[in-house]
Amino acid sequence: MTTVSEKAKKEKVNLFKFNERLHLSYRKNEYLCRSILNFMRPLNFNVPKLARIFVVGMLLMSTMTTSGQTIAEELKADPNRAAGNFYALPIGKMPKDTPAPKGKKPFYINHYGSPGSYYRESNSLYEEPYAVFAKADSLGKLTKLGQEVKQRLDLLRRDAKDRTGELTTKGVEQCRELIRQMVKRFPDILTPNGYYSCRSIVQNNCLMTLEESLVELSSMMQPMKTNVMATHREDRFMAPQDKVLEAMRWDSLTLARYDRFLALNTGNARLMESLFTDQNFLINQVDPESLSRQLFVLAGSIQHTELAGKVTLFDLFTPTEILSHWKKLNAKYYITNGACTLNGGTQPYIQRAALRNMIHMGDSVQKREYPMVHMRYVNENMVMALACLMELDNCGLQTDNLDALGDMGWITYRIAPIAGSIMIVHYRSEVGDPDVLVKVLLNGEEARLPIESDCAPYYHWEDVKRYYLRKLYRYENIRLNKEVKK
Amino acid sequence: MKKLIYTLFGKVLVIGVSLFYFCTLSPSHAQTVKDLIIQKPVYASCNYNTYPDSIPNNLTPSPEGKKPFYISHYGRHGSRYISSRSGYDIPFRMIAHADSVNELTPTGERVFDEMKLIMADTERRWGELTSYGKIQHRRIARRMVERFPEIFCDDARVSCVSTIVPRCIESMGVAMAEMKQVNPKLRITMVASQRNQWYMNHQDRKLRKNFMTPEAKKAYDAYISSRMGNSRLMELIFKNPDIVKEIVDEEQFNYYLIKMGLFQQNTHFYKNTYLQDLFEIDELYNMWQIDNVYWYIQHGACKLNGEKQPTSQRFLLRRLIADADSCISLEKPGAQLRFGHETVLLPLVCLIGINGFDLATDNLDELEEKGWWCSSVFPMGANLQFIFYRSSPKDKDVLVKVLLNEQEATLPIATDCAPYYHWADVRNFCLGKLENNP
Repeated sequence: MTTVSEKAKKEKVNLFKFNERLHLSYRKNEYLCRSILNFMRPLNFNVPKLARIFVVGMLLMSTMTTSGQTIAEELKADPNRAAGNFYALPIGKMPKDTPAPKGKKPFYINHYGSPGSYYRESNSLYEEPYAVFAKADSLGKLTKLGQEVKQRLDLLRRDAKDRTGELTTKGVEQCRELIRQMVKRFPDILTPNGYYSCRSIVQNNCLMTLEESLVELSSMMQPMKTNVMATHREDRFMAPQDKVLEAMRWDSLTLARYDRFLALNTGNARLMESLFTDQNFLINQVDPESLSRQLFVLAGSIQHTELAGKVTLFDLFTPTEILSHWKKLNAKYYITNGACTLNGGTQPYIQRAALRNMIHMGDSVQKREYPMVHMRYVNENMVMALACLMELDNCGLQTDNLDALGDMGWITYRIAPIAGSIMIVHYRSEVGDPDVLVKVLLNGEEARLPIESDCAPYYHWEDVKRYYLRKLYRYENIRLNKEVKK
Repeated sequence: MKKLIYTLFGKVLVIGVSLFYFCTLSPSHAQTVKDLIIQKPVYASCNYNTYPDSIPNNLTPSPEGKKPFYISHYGRHGSRYISSRSGYDIPFRMIAHADSVNELTPTGERVFDEMKLIMADTERRWGELTSYGKIQHRRIARRMVERFPEIFCDDARVSCVSTIVPRCIESMGVAMAEMKQVNPKLRITMVASQRNQWYMNHQDRKLRKNFMTPEAKKAYDAYISSRMGNSRLMELIFKNPDIVKEIVDEEQFNYYLIKMGLFQQNTHFYKNTYLQDLFEIDELYNMWQIDNVYWYIQHGACKLNGEKQPTSQRFLLRRLIADADSCISLEKPGAQLRFGHETVLLPLVCLIGINGFDLATDNLDELEEKGWWCSSVFPMGANLQFIFYRSSPKDKDVLVKVLLNEQEATLPIATDCAPYYHWADVRNFCLGKLENNP
């Protein structure tokens, strides 16, 4: 039997879903219209406006029919996605490849990957919320659900004790499986006469990811020529820091807009009332926003551990709350790594040295007779920024509309999940082939580049190189001019 | 005539055999520390000593009817860059200061240039594993698998634990990748967790803080007083040694410059021995003596500070015993490898008393003559391997052999089958050592 209030709740949820969809289709159309018009601008100077609108309309109709799930539906199907860039990339199925153009064979992989599943770095994330619940419990201020949550938090913190930031067993399995898939997928490159350059930043989760991958590779490849390294020497393109960009990241305008966005998407009263019995205690002892955020982050972290499937915290949140928490996280990462126009749209350039290095490597391996693989393990944020800099799929999105990021396809769990990666795979017909083709894999799936091609998802290396180098030069010139003016 | 030829032949034979015997079977005991330093100057730098490039294959065959079935190991990471800037900064700043006031001789200027190169080479690599370090671990791992095929056969289990220090993790990774090259079927697990730090890298704060007791300090100061300093070096590098005394501390400069020079054997600078060659063997030898004594006071069973220092590794020893106990009960336990540091390995060796390193004395002059030479225990890549033997899983009389840096070692326990020891005896002996140190 459903009570009246439950019915009302359901209605609310349905209404929300309806609004969400309406909003989505509106946003999607707006985005598509804009991008199509932008695309046509340089091409059709003389086409009458009416004809342009007609073309746009036709194009829109064709795209609308293929629209997939909404974010809300995706989150409902797997709430773990709400962890954003802490979502564990599902690796069960090996992605399919579009066959390479005739006569071309892969010979070089340039790989930038995130570490496998790991425990959260911050110890306080596990301890602080538990402390709040423990205190509330000692004063008898917890509801039944609250008491249950306290027990679950205790399990989580015990599980993570002295392991914060470390690769989990699930992470180990991921690393090994991804290597097995890579060997299966690119048998032309991953051969015993290949050369494997494996790098990691000096951070243990990445380092262990590297070692696990290396050991797995070694079991499939004898002999194996490797060069393994983890050094601060390579931080410039592995873990770059840029004070200028960092200073711009959270400038006052961005911060104000973000704070407003947070306020609009925050409502913790229901959750708090479901956990605590005493308003007085809530007011005096609890910071609802921080507690609910911590609970949410913890909820998204369980998927990486052996407690996955045994303990959950997502049941504390309604689908609406999950969506709004995800939105806030997504917006935060968009501001820090995406081309958000609020803070100048230049944050992805933090990875310019990495991109330049990838271009340089792509050029320098062309004369190599034997295949080569470059594997680099870096922070998942760095992979995200690189994907944005390369404008893979929708990652290059430039907007100040934090609310519509999901609708416009800028979705953290698709861009840089845990164990995710960017791979540029190079193809040629023979050594010295002047027309090298590349394909970029974002988390294993073929990605779209912002470049024209007659053989997508394959692109001509010369085009790719030209596009990115111009982009980098343009930015670096601006930086240089600014510094000179100073 | 015939008789004479026979006797002559006989004498030559006897001399030849005895010479052969002398050369091959008793190499280390006949050698002095100085000999070792002449052969390999980096031996003088104690914990910066490099691992031998090749290991003689002279292991005693398995005891009759028994086969190796389990290895328990603790190893130090391979060659690394110096872990902190200060070691290089001390002499570098001094010489830079002297250079700024134009006090360097032509040799001094060359030394300064070499030091600049070394500084630039090490910049942003402090404490990182060098490529030589990786090679050392690959070789050790390969030898381990090849020497004990009974343990590393088929899908044997190899479980590795590393401290959370990147160079140890890297050592573990390259070693395991190499093992997979020899046997791809091995089931390898690797863990580097804070959870294991309590025994993998236990630094006993109380012992650490109090090792230099007043008595120890007095003896140490007396010991080193005649060995510090190097006026020849000062003459060589500085135009006016007397004047630069204000900015260059002779003793410190000498000590750290030797270290800096010798350290390069661990990096890809190893071919450039310019700094190392500045020093005479006696000077290197002096430094070895100073360091050896310091390591003894810090980690050996020194009577001047209560003989307690080696007990810093009581948790590790207890863990080794517990792990062995549980592994012996398994049919195919495989190998347990641990990757850590020299500040753990040395006290562990002293605690167990391997190769007489449990030497307890208050006379620092005794160390050298009694063979307490730390450089032999913990070069980069140093390792301690306990190899367990039995005839079948039901065999109650498990034997164990200890390899220190892959060479058979002795334990201070009676045995009827050296270099093998009865595990029951070893276990009791070690537990006895731990009894007073819970």
